[in-house]
Amino acid sequence: MIIEALIAVTFLAALVVFVAPDEYAGRLAAALSALPILGSLWMWAQYDASGNALLGGSIAFETDVVWLTLGGLDLHWFVGVDGISLPLIVLTTILSTLAIVSAWTPITDRESQFYGLMLFMEANLLGVFTALDFFAWFVFWEAVLVPMYFLIGVWGGPNRRYAAIKFFVYTNVASLVMFIGFIALVFGLGDSVSSMRLPEIAQALRAGELGAFAGLDAATLKTVAFVAMFLGFAVKVPVAPLHTWLPDAHVEAPTPVSVMLAGVLLKMGTYALLRFNFTMMPDVATALVVPIAGVAVISVIYGAMLALAQQDLKRIVAYSSVSSMGYVILGLVAYTTYGVGGATFQMIAHGLISGLMFMAVGVIYNTTHTRMVGDMSGIADRMPLTAGIFVAGAFGYMGLPLMAGFAGEFFIFKGSFESTVHAGMPLFTAAAMFGIVIVAGYLLFAMQRTLFGPFSFDGEYEITNAPFHDVAPLAVLLLLTIVLGVAPDLFFGMIQDAVNPILTGGGL
Amino acid sequence: MAGILDFAPAIVLLPFVSFLVALAVGDRLPKGGAYAGIAATAGSLVLSIATVLTVAGGQTYDATIYTWAEGLEAVDLTFGVLIDPLSAMMLLIVTLVAFLVHVFSLGYMNDEGETGLPRYYAGLGLFTASMLGFVVADNLLMAFMFFELVGLCSYLLIGFHFREPGPPSAAKKAFLVTRFGDYFFLVGVVAVFATFGTASFVGSESFPALAEAALRGEASVTTFGFAPQTWFTIVGLLVLGGVIGKSAQFPLHTWLPDAMEGPTPVSALIHAATMVAAGVYLVARMYGFYAVSPTALAIIAFVGGFTALFAATMGLVKREIKQVLAYSTISQYGYMMLALGGGGYVAATFHLMTHAFFKALLFLGAGSVIIAMHHNENMWDMGGLKDKMPVTYYTFLSGSLALAGIFPFAGFWSKDEVLYETLLHGLDGNPILLGAYAMGLLAVFFTGFYTFRMVFLTFHGKPRTQTAEDPHGVRWNVKFPLAVLGVLAAVAGLVNMVPVAELTGLHIEFLHTWLEHGYAGLTTEHYSTLLQDFAGYGAAGLHLSPLLPGAVSLGLALAGSGLAYLLYNVPEPVRHTDRLGGIKKVLYNNYYQDEYQVWLANGVTRPVARAANKFDGGVVDGVVNGVSGVSLFAGGRVRRIQTGVVSNYAVLLTLGLTALLLAFGILGGWFV
Repeated sequence: MIIEALIAVTFLAALVVFVAPDEYAGRLAAALSALPILGSLWMWAQYDASGNALLGGSIAFETDVVWLTLGGLDLHWFVGVDGISLPLIVLTTILSTLAIVSAWTPITDRESQFYGLMLFMEANLLGVFTALDFFAWFVFWEAVLVPMYFLIGVWGGPNRRYAAIKFFVYTNVASLVMFIGFIALVFGLGDSVSSMRLPEIAQALRAGELGAFAGLDAATLKTVAFVAMFLGFAVKVPVAPLHTWLPDAHVEAPTPVSVMLAGVLLKMGTYALLRFNFTMMPDVATALVVPIAGVAVISVIYGAMLALAQQDLKRIVAYSSVSSMGYVILGLVAYTTYGVGGATFQMIAHGLISGLMFMAVGVIYNTTHTRMVGDMSGIADRMPLTAGIFVAGAFGYMGLPLMAGFAGEFFIFKGSFESTVHAGMPLFTAAAMFGIVIVAGYLLFAMQRTLFGPFSFDGEYEITNAPFHDVAPLAVLLLLTIVLGVAPDLFFGMIQDAVNPILTGGGL
Repeated sequence: MAGILDFAPAIVLLPFVSFLVALAVGDRLPKGGAYAGIAATAGSLVLSIATVLTVAGGQTYDATIYTWAEGLEAVDLTFGVLIDPLSAMMLLIVTLVAFLVHVFSLGYMNDEGETGLPRYYAGLGLFTASMLGFVVADNLLMAFMFFELVGLCSYLLIGFHFREPGPPSAAKKAFLVTRFGDYFFLVGVVAVFATFGTASFVGSESFPALAEAALRGEASVTTFGFAPQTWFTIVGLLVLGGVIGKSAQFPLHTWLPDAMEGPTPVSALIHAATMVAAGVYLVARMYGFYAVSPTALAIIAFVGGFTALFAATMGLVKREIKQVLAYSTISQYGYMMLALGGGGYVAATFHLMTHAFFKALLFLGAGSVIIAMHHNENMWDMGGLKDKMPVTYYTFLSGSLALAGIFPFAGFWSKDEVLYETLLHGLDGNPILLGAYAMGLLAVFFTGFYTFRMVFLTFHGKPRTQTAEDPHGVRWNVKFPLAVLGVLAAVAGLVNMVPVAELTGLHIEFLHTWLEHGYAGLTTEHYSTLLQDFAGYGAAGLHLSPLLPGAVSLGLALAGSGLAYLLYNVPEPVRHTDRLGGIKKVLYNNYYQDEYQVWLANGVTRPVARAANKFDGGVVDGVVNGVSGVSLFAGGRVRRIQTGVVSNYAVLLTLGLTALLLAFGILGGWFV
């Protein structure tokens, strides 16, 4: 019942904050959002399950009741976690609270609605990462979009309506494509499944029980469904060339919303890819390894090149997310312990580090009211602490050892280089790894021009140290990044345990 | 029973603690945390001395101390400490230089009224700790991780004066250029794991041992469709990318002269004991892996020989004292690479040691001069400092004699052995090495020249400026490190006097004996066997007396120094290098190496990035907006039906219903 409690408490918190007065909303939201953190940490401490939730492993904190029956299929309220979802839940609760705190300075109107929506989004995210029935999962998946749409569209920058609608329509069309693909699979499975519970479907698919449907034989149907679902999820990740909604959304979104978008929402895409495509249809994934690894490499290099061309600090970080998420795709398709495990770890690592970078850019923006590289220089002189954390975070992004990003990236590189799914994997890996040079290029250039050199700033704002509550979330994220970089086993053990069952059987 | 070697991790941890202390409370400590750093490095030094003594007693140590990532049905990734003669020697060098640099910093930073000292001492502490962690690493992954941390620290310290425009740019360049090399290194690390399933340096299951076994047909490893030796060469060269970056070898040497923007004690640390030394040390650490690949060895030798010559020529014309030293560092590390490629493992580690002492000395000496000159580094503004700062002068002279390779100073013995080993193996069936040897030999002449040009311009003749007339004094904290290193630069060569051993028959090549101990796969004997079996080094058993080659290189060094004496040891020297004309311009501009690398970054990569950005905005996003535009247009047309007039809706409803009924009727066959 802890999962229901977690989601319910967060929903209730959202409601309470909605009706709270604006003056207190930020503090109240932060305080209430501490409850899910405690819950998720308690789950992490108590976690004793093993194996993959979809492939017959034991499921922690499981609830499974029939909700309603529809067209011969039972819809279940079926939630639970395994080693893949639990780290993401911890990430979600911690990052939500930190994002809420980071909103205290920039968000100055309709606060109660803003914080209410943030909590509402958190509750749905927790649902996405815990639901094990497709119907419940899909409801949460779609429900996440609604608060995000309003958070960008109401509190965003000058071009917020365009960005919000683009985000909403793009990801919604993608969801539709994915939905059609999945439902086709369910029809193809026919009577071999009695519900839309993901474990049942995953095991049936891996056991080869898919039949023909809509004039497509089983193999074609599976490939078509795989491609449809891959495209649907790839928009969310985002994988190049389906990424163009992301920079617009980030540039317009206020800092805390960017933090959630990059830190958690992108991981919905990779999480779903892992749960659906790569767990359920490994045979198709390995057959399509060349195009998948190809788009992974393109995402890494192309995303990094785009970041190199930007002048807006936030756009730099936004495009670098495209690059970092490309590594995740590469790790997933490798089908090795380190590859898929590293990809999952990288979801957490990138969540922390991109959150940190967006917040750091936000703190600079709060003070200078600009994010353009050319508009300021030498601000380390006036904001030494923020600059110091910015530098540390940037090195984290560059994959500095003993920070979480290095662990994730190294696991992926190791796992994909030694992968046997295709003879070209070492070359794909080596090509993708060149991203670590380009990322150093754009972040070092950006830091040199904004943080260092003689101080100059044209605006009329006084540049001083940021308030404590702006810097504290940065410090927490930096600390977590280092802790996970020094001791990746805090999560990596349970991740591998959940990932390993994916790597055998199912046509592999 | 816990032996002294069980405390080896403390050697690494002490400077790390001083980093934390300086970072957290440095601004509340006297001297900005300097004493914490001095105490920590002194502690590490004492432990390192104890370690060396214990290793001299025949003990070694290898233990996994931390499992970084435990693999489930996959390999574990671990941190371990490996203490053998090589790492023990390096520990001693690093901790000694780090300790002296900390002491010197009191004079160079504190006494000069610098701000931001806690940041400085935190950086020094982390730098030392990272390098020590790298030195004791018992596997390639751990080595890579600390290698990168060393890179971070160099960034932080080179860019210490971040309020000026130069240092942040130099720091960025240092990290970026070495990161480019580290990219290849990381691919190499991953390839080593994929090939051997381990990255361990020591034991029968280590990757060098497995590589040897695979070549002897006793083990099989994954070689991705290549012949094993070809694949090992590829992997070795990938790792070498990181070495070339960090050890500032051609073509990735360009960051190092810019790195002079950092405070001078940091330069001493970077050049002598950390960072630049890391690259060469890595090759020595995994020498068993390179020794099985003649191609890799030849490439190492050529990169080294070429770099030695190439950098020495650039050092001829520099105006600033630290610039001369920077190019001399590049050149000297070239010699170490030359030795490693030429089969002179002992020679390379010997030169690594002597160079650490005399280069730290020269940088600290230059620092002392810079204090005296009120932070003017131009040698043409100096002159005549000899009588005003005798301690600096005589120690600097000791270092310069060592650098130039003049008998009997430390550098003579080590450089001599480097060249001798390369020549020996070149004559002994590997004529390709002779080309690399020739470059190294020629560089000796240039080294002698630029070294003494620097000495004479700085210390001899008449003072050429007001500041040089009346230099700023320095205190004990500057003189003490100089004195220690000055003595070492003079006598460190005594540990390995190969020509004297040859002449007298005495067994006094102590460094050879030292490196013969330790783990079976990591000794000089084993490396000789590998070199002989797989690379054909020493196959013919040629015997060559070291006396004649030694005399030749000494002669060249004396000739170069002598020329500098004639030209520059005059009361009012003139710019003789102007006679080189266009060549001087090329040398002064470093063969336009920086230009093409900046062009690669700004002239190629940036336009490509901008083009990608245009493409992304125009084509990729254009398609997205186009699709939405089409739907909006269609939506707009459809919207016109919705007029808001009820009678129109009624008409539409009726017509629609009629149409539907008709359609159903026709399809359903009602009218038949």
